[in-house]
Amino acid sequence: MKIQIKRYGNVLNSRPAGREAALSMIAYQKPKPGEKIELDFEGVLSVGPSWLDEVLSALRAKYGKERVICLARKNPSVLASLEAIDS
Amino acid sequence: MVRLIQERGGLRPVELVKELGISPQALHRHLKSLTNSGALERRGRAPATRYFIAGEPSLNAMRRWFTASGGSTQESKEFVCETRDVFSARLGRLGALSKQGLEDGELSLLISAVGEVANNCFDHNLGHWRDIPGCWLETQITGKRLWVLIADRGQGVFQSLKRALPSIPDEKTALWTAFEKKVSGRAPENRGNGLKFVRKIVDESPARGLACRSGAGLIDYGTLGPECRKYLADFNPRVSGTVTLLVWRIP
Repeated sequence: MKIQIKRYGNVLNSRPAGREAALSMIAYQKPKPGEKIELDFEGVLSVGPSWLDEVLSALRAKYGKERVICLARKNPSVLASLEAIDS
Repeated sequence: MVRLIQERGGLRPVELVKELGISPQALHRHLKSLTNSGALERRGRAPATRYFIAGEPSLNAMRRWFTASGGSTQESKEFVCETRDVFSARLGRLGALSKQGLEDGELSLLISAVGEVANNCFDHNLGHWRDIPGCWLETQITGKRLWVLIADRGQGVFQSLKRALPSIPDEKTALWTAFEKKVSGRAPENRGNGLKFVRKIVDESPARGLACRSGAGLIDYGTLGPECRKYLADFNPRVSGTVTLLVWRIP
């Protein structure tokens, strides 16, 4: 299942906003058992590690780390944020 | 005229006429000549046009707001984001800087760095503002450089961090720790990687720099960091709060 992150905004930067986005994803996106959840950042200008940390923490806690995948494409702020979170 | 602009920051022609006691015609002749020679820079549209020293950011308005006690300043409405929602909306507007020649990749990193620094103003000062809540967010483009000014009238990094790390001895160590170690004044929440992320971004390219002051603490990162540092060097260390200056070179 693919989640278009641009639907949550073009500039995604704070923890409160990340928490809200994560709660919304969990409430409205219903993946099948075992299905991977792909976060697609196409069309997003900028993401901060605080926002991404809130989203990934919530999704990983709910579905497991292996099922949540970031399709960062070439967005440098997504790649840098992922590195900051998982290092 | 140049000295006056240097001391006071950006000045409008009408203010210069009053200060210098010369005719508007003579003033505009001088302004034109100084602008053509590259000494001065014109910013803004008439009637809000102001003249600045070329290539240098002007921190005067931010400094007036930062050091003022018990009230707002004239310029604060334009630059102060009293709530996080206002800040988020203004942060989104930085996307328009692509028109100034900043590539999408650079813009993406700049916005995320600004977001991390400025969100700290709200994250660590809620309920602890000196007087006025919010953060100052201002951008200036001068001499092929984009400057971002961020400030808050909060409790400062030392006061925030010493709750989580009581052994921190002073403001300088606290500021260094905030940028170098994964620690947060919001313990036991698991956070504290925002400023490390900002430091890494700034250090990755010779076209970037940052300086941050909080009380007596003053730190800089990146190739252009020392350039930022000199503008924050003479801020009053006894004023509580935090000031950050970021610079990105525009190709």
